[in-house]
Amino acid sequence: MIMDNILFGLTNVIQPFNLLLIALGTSIGLFVGSMPGLSATMAIAILLPLTFGLDPASGISMLASLYMGAMYGGSIAAILLKTPGTPAAAATIMDGYPMAQKGYPGKAFGISLTSSFIGGMISALVLLTIAPLLGKLALEFGPVELFAVAVLGMTIIGSLVRGSTVLGLLSGSIGLLLALIGMDPTTGTPRFTFGNMYLFSGIPFVVALIGLFSIPQAIHLIEQKSAMNSGEINPIEDKMLPTFKEFKKLIVTILRSSGIGVITGLIPGTGGDTACWFAYNEAKRWAKDKTGFGQGRPEGIASAEAANNAVVGGALIPTLTLGIPGSSSTAVLIGGLMVHGILPGPTLMTEHADVTYTLIWGLFFANIFMFIIGLMFTRATIYVTKIDNKVIAPLIVVLAVVGSFAINNSFFDVILMFIFGILGYFMNKIDMPTAPMVIGLILGHMFDTSLNQSLLMSRGSWMIFLRSPISAILLALALFSALQSTPLFGLIIKTFRKKVLNNN
Amino acid sequence: MLKKSRILVMVLIMVFVISSLSLAAYPEKPIKMLMGFSPGGGSDALAQLIEPFLQDILDTSFVNEYKPGATGAIAWTQLAYDTPNDGYTISVTNTPMLMTNYIMNEEIVYHIDMFDPIANIVTDPGIMVVPADSSFDTMEELMAYAEENPGEVTVGHSGVGGDDFFSMLILERETGLDFQLIPFTGDGPSWQAAMGGKIDASSNNVGITYPQVKEGNLKALAVYSEKRLDALPDVPTMKELGYNVVAGSSRGISGPKGMPEEAVNTLIAAVEEMAKDPEFQKAAADRAMNLDIKTGDEYWEYLQTQSEIYGEIWENVKDQYQN
Repeated sequence: MIMDNILFGLTNVIQPFNLLLIALGTSIGLFVGSMPGLSATMAIAILLPLTFGLDPASGISMLASLYMGAMYGGSIAAILLKTPGTPAAAATIMDGYPMAQKGYPGKAFGISLTSSFIGGMISALVLLTIAPLLGKLALEFGPVELFAVAVLGMTIIGSLVRGSTVLGLLSGSIGLLLALIGMDPTTGTPRFTFGNMYLFSGIPFVVALIGLFSIPQAIHLIEQKSAMNSGEINPIEDKMLPTFKEFKKLIVTILRSSGIGVITGLIPGTGGDTACWFAYNEAKRWAKDKTGFGQGRPEGIASAEAANNAVVGGALIPTLTLGIPGSSSTAVLIGGLMVHGILPGPTLMTEHADVTYTLIWGLFFANIFMFIIGLMFTRATIYVTKIDNKVIAPLIVVLAVVGSFAINNSFFDVILMFIFGILGYFMNKIDMPTAPMVIGLILGHMFDTSLNQSLLMSRGSWMIFLRSPISAILLALALFSALQSTPLFGLIIKTFRKKVLNNN
Repeated sequence: MLKKSRILVMVLIMVFVISSLSLAAYPEKPIKMLMGFSPGGGSDALAQLIEPFLQDILDTSFVNEYKPGATGAIAWTQLAYDTPNDGYTISVTNTPMLMTNYIMNEEIVYHIDMFDPIANIVTDPGIMVVPADSSFDTMEELMAYAEENPGEVTVGHSGVGGDDFFSMLILERETGLDFQLIPFTGDGPSWQAAMGGKIDASSNNVGITYPQVKEGNLKALAVYSEKRLDALPDVPTMKELGYNVVAGSSRGISGPKGMPEEAVNTLIAAVEEMAKDPEFQKAAADRAMNLDIKTGDEYWEYLQTQSEIYGEIWENVKDQYQN
């Protein structure tokens, strides 16, 4: 059964049309990634509606390829402009920019591309081997277990947050509350709809997403003017691909960083922006000769770039097997699945195995295309970094309007999208992160439905959540992750450490 | 005088001929199919099934317009209030959602009286399935257990207001039994929970659970159809067991009230012609769709009866759910 699905995914993905879409997705990713100010998450959100007409497997594979392509694309601006194209490329600046300044921008791109390729391939391989094993558990996840998954997911909202924990949790809670709008799943009563029929099925998740991620971005681009992009860019004249000798020196770093990337991606809530720094620090720690980091060491580029591409496969594991997004980009991918009527969760590996395995194989091909397209077009892509913000910003708004209308062919949704956009803009102004709100919106539905179902099944007894071993373990993990961010936990660790020290 | 009346007769004949010519020309432009659900859903599947055949017969094309939301109510409200009744906009109408929408929510203001029903095409009968390793092998065993332990047997359905929910209410009313109903978000999650042994049974649809029943992953105890089904010859109907439970979900096509009679008749004739086509019958069978052709008045009566039954059932249980 699993072998059949794996083979089906492979035969599906090698159809010329699907290959074309994957190549297209990778190219768009490269393009978007190389533009500072445009994130992969935003690009996926905006392009999502364009995949409606496609078969779900093809559409989702294209979006995942975009995610993969953007991870490499981000290094282009980092290396040339000292500005990360995506947050995940921030660590690439450390050694990429100095190397380019020394006159080897081509070599920096070559190392980045090779490491990205290997990191991406390893993560796709891990996804292909681990996901089916987890998928076998799918039927073990009933309402009780899904409730525990939702609780765990919500406690993780805290870790998603960069900056203020309070603002992050507040944003997550608002997301949860917004998820309550619409028909009550157990009684059929419309809640908080103000009698408006368009709100009966709840806030369309993708509409909120497009608004939150694209409109603030567009306004921000207009505000900051084009100062950053006006610098002179020297054409790349040196050779790109590293020699075999250079490659042999890097391979250990690349493999280690890929491992770090996969694991960081696997942990829900952490993504490429964390993984690249983590891998960079480890590369520094493990290097025998520690000099030259920050002045153009190849290992520096290789570690950050292998890690941020490896995150993709890792982040997709909880997304595909449990329906918990591993990063904000995969949260948007979940939106893509929902648009096609596929509910994220354990059934992705069983009922919708055709889509899932096509997506996994799509990642392999996205890597191959990324490598080829990267080799051919990196030299041209550098001009993308010079496009004026005044051109990009209105384009984003137009795409956001078209996209949000296309979901339900409803003008109401366009207005809703702008409301979320303006909300997102002010959230950015006070440094309140928007990603937890999106996660809250996703998990809110799951939380609401599964809690009601479980309590109906147990006829009101809350003990049902502790009787299932899976749910008990997940809830314990959730408790741990919640305690960990309270002062209490720090106190326990402190006293524990003191004891150990005293004993010594 | 004679001349005058002759002219009058000729004019009348000409008017008649011209008008009948122009009417015979229906349809002279593409027909818009308004859909209350997203592409890929059940109503889309029905449109994909019938449109190629109707296009050939009517010599026109169909344009699908998707207006999903509020379990179809957005599209059906538009059909009732905001659609020209010229015969060029029709909609896929699903029961029981078509009625339960306005029965359950006073904010939804359309009514089936605002539609001209054209034809029902398919009906997917309800079915009771249990996990493969369930201790219940027959519907009688399940019912006997439920009688001794009222409210203990957990039965999943596809959501409050959906077909499976109302099927269960009918079943409870007819058998006098009390089940613990668990709402899921769709047919899929409901049978999967049954297959994983999370709930005792799932009240579902034949077309959806058939592959799992055939694979032996689920046991079918009873179907809610008039007669036994060809696909499941060993599964008894509730009627055979002595309970008048005939329920399921139907999908057909309707237009706004007051469409030109010729348009309605042309569409009905086209559906009847299509129903006789062996290729169409094969296409439906390939998609596990159970044909149930009812046209014109017969469809109208079917919808009216359903609306009354569901209205009455909801009136009885309403207080348990909404207060």
